[in-house]
Amino acid sequence: MNTTSVQTEDRSLGALLRGEVAALTAWTANWRALHFSRDVTLIVVGAGLFGAAMGCWRDPWQALYAGIKLPLILLLTATANGLLNAMLAPLLGLRIAFRQSFLAILASFALAAAILGAFSPLAAFVIWNAPPLTEGAHNADTRAAIMLLLVVVIAFAGIAANVRLLQLLRSLAGGKTAALRVLFAWLAANLFFGSQLSWVLRPFIGSPLLPVQFLRPDAFKGGFFDDVFHALVQIFN
Amino acid sequence: MNEMNQTPPQMQYTPPQPVEDPADREPVNGVASVIECILRQPKRIHNALRQPGVTGVIGSMVVVSLVCAIIYGVVVGTFSGWPQLWIAPLKIAGGLLVAAIICLPSLYIFACLSGSRARLVEMAGLLAGLLLLMTLLLIGFAPVAWLFSASTNSLGWMGFLHLLFWGIATIFGMRFLSAGFAGTQARSNAGLNVWALIFILVCLQLTTSLRPIIGKSDTLFPGATEKKFFIKHWFDSLDSETNSTRKNNND
Repeated sequence: MNTTSVQTEDRSLGALLRGEVAALTAWTANWRALHFSRDVTLIVVGAGLFGAAMGCWRDPWQALYAGIKLPLILLLTATANGLLNAMLAPLLGLRIAFRQSFLAILASFALAAAILGAFSPLAAFVIWNAPPLTEGAHNADTRAAIMLLLVVVIAFAGIAANVRLLQLLRSLAGGKTAALRVLFAWLAANLFFGSQLSWVLRPFIGSPLLPVQFLRPDAFKGGFFDDVFHALVQIFN
Repeated sequence: MNEMNQTPPQMQYTPPQPVEDPADREPVNGVASVIECILRQPKRIHNALRQPGVTGVIGSMVVVSLVCAIIYGVVVGTFSGWPQLWIAPLKIAGGLLVAAIICLPSLYIFACLSGSRARLVEMAGLLAGLLLLMTLLLIGFAPVAWLFSASTNSLGWMGFLHLLFWGIATIFGMRFLSAGFAGTQARSNAGLNVWALIFILVCLQLTTSLRPIIGKSDTLFPGATEKKFFIKHWFDSLDSETNSTRKNNND
């Protein structure tokens, strides 16, 4: 193994985290097994560690389950919406290939996962210091505080990844308008699919009143949008 | 004196003509090329439709549209399972084809009334392009639709979701049609807008005439005996869903 290739790979990882547009544009231009596997590895490790940190409050098994499920959400969302995202881009004014749109989204997810992974020791430390999540324990305030921390970290990772993605899209589109249109369309599609997938793959933190499970028995039943729709129908009826 | 007041011809303003990409003039050959062009180079399809012997391109667009509609139909059918897995694709693909056949003559008439010089075959090509883009986008939405089909029991919600996806796909399809229409020297888009409304109403009514598409029924076409306007059908469906939800809550 020569030194130059090692240095190049180090630069690649750093460039992704710094969101260097030139490097990102070059990576999305071609299928490279190295870059693809790096993004997938970052998602599996980064999001997996954060998932494990979330789940460890309930039980070590819950940590393992959440550590598997959180990366799965990112990977499945990128894959399932890949075709739709690739179609939306040229229709909204950004002529890029399926490969470019898929790799750009995968890179942005990898960036978000890297941030989540970096914050996972912090999350684990906070949870380790919290009273145990067991039945009968009065820890509603602690639970609220931990939930808030997790939401803030996930939101920060999501925002940072999308800012980088917007920079990449702007350079590919050569303008702001088309890039913004494509970003919002991708965001809407990914959030819509990802939120329902998160519902199906629940629980992540778990509940002291329910057993530790990989999936709930009623995993494929209902969902957030389903409930909102029913509420609206009842109101208008 | 009159001669002095006339504006010299060289002072007249001529608006800048848009520069056409030479790639848009290249012929469209094969199914893969049609799919690629409709997404990335719609002008190439528009130009191809103005050339003689475009039936191959139109045929490709129709066939791919039907295949895509059948695939999306299978996803729609997963909500109720067998036998909707074959009934829903049949109804969706057939319904789209019927809607296109019903609406093609009026599209041509509106185009002529708007001053368009397009031939009937060009209008048929634009309509086939509309169907192709719609169904391709529906294929893109298929994984999302499947996830929701698998994770809900609400017929109303699934109906709303499929209509939402169809609506988004139709907007993009209409953009393609409108861009092609603008290239046929039509003086205004008013006729096209009226036609778009007609096409949407026909499609929506077909969802009621061909019901049930998402849910199940003992007969293949109960809509053939019980005629309903689509809005009335929607409200009836929502009422029955609300009643069953209330009943479940009371239980």
